Amino acid sequence: MFDAVLENLPYLLGGFLTNVKLAVFALAGGLFLGTLVGLGRISKRPWVYYPVTLYVNFLRNIPLILVIFWFYFVMPILVGKNLDPFVSAAVSFIVFEATYFGEIFRAGFQSISKDLVSAAYSTGLNFRQTATYILVPIAFRRMLPSMITQSIITFQDTSLAYVIGLAEMVRRTTIVDSIEVRSIQLYSFVAILFFIICFIGSRISLHYEEKSRKAKVL
Amino acid sequence: MIEIKNVSKWFGDFQVLVDIDEVVQRGQKVVICGPSGSGKSTLLRCINGLEPYQKGEIVVDGVSLSDPKTNLYKLREKIGMVFQRFELYPHMTVLRNITLAPIKVRKKSRPQAEKKAMELLERVGIPDKAGAYPANLSGGQQQRVAIARALAMEPACMMFDEPTSALDPEMIQEVLEVMIGLAKEGMTMLVVTHEMGFAREVADEIIFMDAGRIVERGRGDEFFKNPKSQRTKDFLGQILK
Amino acid sequence: MLSYKFDWGVLWRQPYGEWLLQGLWLTIQIGALAWVIALSLGILFGTLRSVRFLPLRILGSVYVEVFRNIPFLVQLFFWFYAGPMLFGKTLQFKINALSGLNYYVAIVALGLYTASRVGEHVRAGFASIGHGQYEAVLSTGMTPVQMYWHVMIPHALRLIIPPLTTEFLTIFKNSAVAMTIGVAETTFMSYKIDEQTFHGLEATTGAMAIYLVLGMTVVKLMDFIEARFRIPGLMTR
Repeated sequence: MFDAVLENLPYLLGGFLTNVKLAVFALAGGLFLGTLVGLGRISKRPWVYYPVTLYVNFLRNIPLILVIFWFYFVMPILVGKNLDPFVSAAVSFIVFEATYFGEIFRAGFQSISKDLVSAAYSTGLNFRQTATYILVPIAFRRMLPSMITQSIITFQDTSLAYVIGLAEMVRRTTIVDSIEVRSIQLYSFVAILFFIICFIGSRISLHYEEKSRKAKVL
Repeated sequence: MIEIKNVSKWFGDFQVLVDIDEVVQRGQKVVICGPSGSGKSTLLRCINGLEPYQKGEIVVDGVSLSDPKTNLYKLREKIGMVFQRFELYPHMTVLRNITLAPIKVRKKSRPQAEKKAMELLERVGIPDKAGAYPANLSGGQQQRVAIARALAMEPACMMFDEPTSALDPEMIQEVLEVMIGLAKEGMTMLVVTHEMGFAREVADEIIFMDAGRIVERGRGDEFFKNPKSQRTKDFLGQILK
Repeated sequence: MLSYKFDWGVLWRQPYGEWLLQGLWLTIQIGALAWVIALSLGILFGTLRSVRFLPLRILGSVYVEVFRNIPFLVQLFFWFYAGPMLFGKTLQFKINALSGLNYYVAIVALGLYTASRVGEHVRAGFASIGHGQYEAVLSTGMTPVQMYWHVMIPHALRLIIPPLTTEFLTIFKNSAVAMTIGVAETTFMSYKIDEQTFHGLEATTGAMAIYLVLGMTVVKLMDFIEARFRIPGLMTR
């Protein structure tokens, strides 16, 4: 029944690995940049707040596919030579997903009582230390379910790197399909694969949500 | 060591501090009382630079807060502060709560900081809780940890913002005892509280604030027995029932 | 920086400017039609997820989980490439020969995908209405179907206008994915302009501006709808 899939399994799974790789880079960069974006969104300094807010609101209104194209066109101009689609895609994803993680972090930061921050400052800690040891760890733990959900979305989004020719799973599936024309099997397979990963991820997120709701520790 | 000269503060159009004048000498214990919204908490936060003020000047140990060159972080090392809701870092153990600032700000080594932290925990009576998380502690224990955390930076002065208001009655005494102990050791203290028993025992000066102003100040029993202003009389009447 | 001569004229020079406008028109069509599907199905599945009868709840849950955990691109490709084959050998060729197939598939796929998300919002809307109203309506003798149709659904819809606005915006963003099956919408056109002129940077920037304006229009529209249908006395914001 799934013979076309089995025949091409290594090829297809190799593509899947590319999705995973891209997701890892996107998440690492997106989380880091997202932390900065979140901090920027709660900043009282207008020269930080307004540019960051503009950046977030701008990117959240544009399709990710278009952002991927835009970076695909922009990067060669900036860097001076043609880039590997993986790098271009990774940059697009980091910049794009950072807006979503940024908003999640912002919600996390805003849930921290002002007095807790005052308590940290009153022991002589400066902003960078307070952010690093207090704000970010607490916000991250509180928003973990949302972070996991967003990570799942990011993983799904990596399929869009298809459009710039990245040899990820969807592109490889279409390539195999153009030869074998066993579309139902092939597309079902990639759908099922994504489904399994994302479904497990959403269960994990629910588990953490339940856990933090019961514990109410943080 | 703390001089507050003619300080006023506005939140937008609303004036929350009106011409506050006060001097706190080293070793003095000053208690501030008054109805909610009178500006007592705001005044404390102005003293360690957590809140800005628009008019007047606050000078701590010779350093003026109005001076743009003043390093607020260094200044905050000198003043320890304890908050109504304890505000311990929930994701860290009690020990780490206390040692975080000494390690990161004073650059002490971990063993050094932990040794000092354990001494402080002994002093506040709960050395056995060093490895526990704040969520596992009672309110009274958390507040005592908060006091130890503030003391870890070896401040010259300690400020308390309604330290017992969020506590169940049975736990108020254990925290007050720690504070009385501190007072007896000669710590300069600025305490916002409704605990008049504590004020009677420990305070050199009691200040009554209302609507952003200092309405009356007095020493010990004199303040309680012969309040001069009507507002003070009314307020004391309320809380000393 | 590579010596790149910017040519912003591509945005309005003929035929490129016209291409972008045609693309915008298609984006609007796809988004609007898919939204109709998404709303209808979403209300249906959201209701299914909320009723007392367990098998219906499970059906609703399965639908939502399946459509939420598979990337939209994969869903789109499945329907477009594999979909016709589901109809058997003879129909398959007829379907594939249809002109504009990609257009119809895009609308249906986008509608189905978005419906799962709308369904979740509808379910949340019902949950926030509270048990009391549910009991009160049933005690007047209405059947559950009547209750949902006449009372719960209209009420829930007003409550969930903010998340629905987000989904409406998202549907226009996701419509861009249809370019992968050749639908000549905005993003497709900006890519095509690059193929012809090698000024993809300007073209995609122009497309971004189009989406921004579209987004702002959608928000204004939903604000108007919310004001028009507001329930007095209810904290909807």
